[in-house]
Formats: sequence, C-alpha cells, structure tokens
Amino acid sequence: MTRWFEKLQQQIVNTQVWRSLFRHGYPDTDLNRALVMFSNVILHLHPVRVKRGALKIRYTWCLGGLTFFMFIILTITGVFLMFYYVPDTRRAYNDIKDLQYVVYFGNLMRDMHRWAAHAMVFLVWLHMTRVFLTGSYKPPREFNWVVGVVLLVLTLILSWTGYLMPWDQLAMWAITVGAKMAEATPVIGVAGPFGIQLGMRPDNDIRFMLLGGTVVGQSALLRFYVLHCVGLPLIAALFMAVHFWRIRKDGFSGPL
Amino acid sequence: MTANPSVPDAQQVLKEQEMSRRRFFALVGWGGFLASMGGATFGTFRFMFPEVLYEPPTIFKIGKPTDYGMGVTDTLKKERQIWVVRNDKGLYVLVAICRHLGCTPNWFLDQQRFRCPCHGSIYDIYGNVRGGPAPRTLWRAAIALDPIDGQVVVNFIQRQDPDPKSTPEGLTVAEEGREVAPFFVTT
Repeated sequence: MTRWFEKLQQQIVNTQVWRSLFRHGYPDTDLNRALVMFSNVILHLHPVRVKRGALKIRYTWCLGGLTFFMFIILTITGVFLMFYYVPDTRRAYNDIKDLQYVVYFGNLMRDMHRWAAHAMVFLVWLHMTRVFLTGSYKPPREFNWVVGVVLLVLTLILSWTGYLMPWDQLAMWAITVGAKMAEATPVIGVAGPFGIQLGMRPDNDIRFMLLGGTVVGQSALLRFYVLHCVGLPLIAALFMAVHFWRIRKDGFSGPL
Repeated sequence: MTANPSVPDAQQVLKEQEMSRRRFFALVGWGGFLASMGGATFGTFRFMFPEVLYEPPTIFKIGKPTDYGMGVTDTLKKERQIWVVRNDKGLYVLVAICRHLGCTPNWFLDQQRFRCPCHGSIYDIYGNVRGGPAPRTLWRAAIALDPIDGQVVVNFIQRQDPDPKSTPEGLTVAEEGREVAPFFVTT
C-alpha cells in the first residue's frame, strides 16, 4: 500500500507540469531557500537574507506589511462591491442600501471595505511615524521615503474618492468641500493666487477638470468611480512595487 | 495494591489517550483557519447570487381577451416579448424568442410568417418551424383569465414545448394537442 502510494507520488513529482510549477526542492537547505526567492516572481521582492534585527516585531511593528494587507483586502472586497454598485446618481444610494440590507453578506463585504479603508489610512500614518522615529528615511533610503510620501497621498486620494460613492449628504458635501480646495490651487485654480489673472474661470480650471462640471453631479460621480476603481489603484500598485523593490535593495535599517 | 508491570494502571492509560497540548493547539489553530477560509469562500460565493432582481415581472396582465382581434397582435413584442394570437376558438400567447439561439423574430403580416433576423428561422402562425435552423417550435406561454377583472394573465416562464414531428412542411406539432389549458383560453 505504502509502496504503491510512494510510486504514484514519485510519478506525479517527476511530471513536467509539477517540475515547472515547483522549480526547486523543499526549502530546507541554504541553496533551496535562496532558489525559492530567486525563482518566484512574488517572493523575489523579499531579500534572500534578512538581518536578524530587522525581523524584530518591536522594530517595524509590521506596519508597512499591514498597510499592504489592507490594500489587498480593499482590492478583493472592492471588486465584489463593483458587481452590485452602479455609479449613477439615481441608483448609487439605493445600491448601497441593497448591499447593506438585501445582498447576502453584502453588509459584511461593504463593512470590510470601509473599515479596511480607515485602517489603511491609519496604518500609513503609523508606518511613516515609525520610519521617521527610527531615522529610516535618511540616505541611502531617502528615495524610498519620497515614494512613500507619494503612496500616502495616493492612499488619501483613494480614501477621498471612495467617500463620494454612497452618494449621501456626507459624500456630497465632503467632495464639495474637497473640490473647493482644488479651486484654490495656485495658477490652475480660479480661487488660487494668479488664477483669475491667468484666465481661470469656474468652467475651465482644475476643479472643473476634476469634477467634470461646475457642481458635484453625475460626471463627478463617474469620474471618482473610475479613479477609485481603476486609475488610482493601478498607480498605487506601481508605486508599491517600486517601494518594495527599494526596501529589498536598500536593506532594512535595523534596530538603533 | 501491588504494581503489576504487565497491566498498565488507569492513570497511565488515560495519559496516553489524552491529546498533547501541542497537538490540541495545532488542531484548534488549523481548524479555526480552515473554518474561517471556508466561511469566507461560502460567503463570497453566496454574495454572487442576488436576492432582489430588477427585471420585468414574469407574471403579468395584458388586458381583456376582447382587446385582441383575429390573427397575430404584434404590439406587445417590445414590452413583454410575446405575441397574442386569436383563432376561431380562442387565444394563445407565443413567446417571441427564437428557438435557434434566442433572438427575437419579426412578424410579417403579408407572408403570415415569423422570421428571425439572426439566422433566418421561419415560423408559421402556430409557431411551427417552416424553415431555417430552429430545432423546435415556438414556445407558448401559460395564460388564464383573472377571476376578478377578467384580464388575461400571462405566466412567461411556464411554457408549452411539445416534441415536434419532421414533415415535408417543416417541424410541426398537431394543433389539437396544443389548444389545452393552461396554454389556451376559449372565448
């Protein structure tokens, strides 16, 4: 019985399909452990060797990893929410209510998306505070710090665009207020310095471009939806790839 | 009590049967992990089956039988996807879905034929296939008269679908067998 099983196991392990999926032995030797990191596209972002100190939970608190975990949760739950949500001013609010009260596990899906979004913003701040306090922003890691600042801004804009999706009073006025800030941008906003002198009007400045109109309406909802679901996540993913790659190249700063 | 080495005492047996702490935690850990994974998979799968549909109703009223004259009435095709047909005995309702691949055929009064624009299936006024690739005759929807207001109630998803016979004219079904309740209203 056992010999028959071992024979079958050997046969499966020796097939070309298996050997193309698992291109190295079990990672119980130094060589195989290194090969795992070299030959896997996801794991290759992780260094083959990490300093013992960098693995101390009380040094990094795993805040960057947790932020990325939130991003993964948001991507998955977000895709599922897209099956029921339509960015139409006449439907959006009702679709949210359907998700909350009608769709099976819809409220759980929505709440996971909502709380993960809050947690992601919170964790980004904590992560940056940790990096600041341990001095990990200093050269040679200053480039990655700037990439991180871009990721912070992207996270905030993602959070802000998601804010409009329920199309309730909170959404409406949060975006009205936020767009007012865009209006005050120097040079390219009508209310900003040199705006009027350079020919900015409420129907041709940066706020107009952002909202696709002069008020928060249907075009604004559609624009924010596209940015929230496609544009910003793609840009964020790109910057995250660079961010992780830089960590691998620069190495962990290690405990003080 | 004298200890007999060949007979293990009760305490020893109990200890051997007991699960070790490590094994217990491994079991609880993996059990919890797999249960949460299973729950998430089930919940996500179930999420994809909507509880409320924003579709037209499948059971609807189409007015009194006297509203419909002899022959085919083509006016409900767009809204309800049906044709109402009256012959000298009564009414039946044809479902305006081609039996080939599901397009909507058109009614040609001069030819007395339904013709599908997609692949050219041709049906006569009974729904029998008179040409083209359609493998079966047109469906007839269940109809009844509402006892209170006397309107015709159509059940769009309860359909008559008898096996057709291959004849020189095409795929046909004997009309006598088709004009029965609930697919025919005598008026």
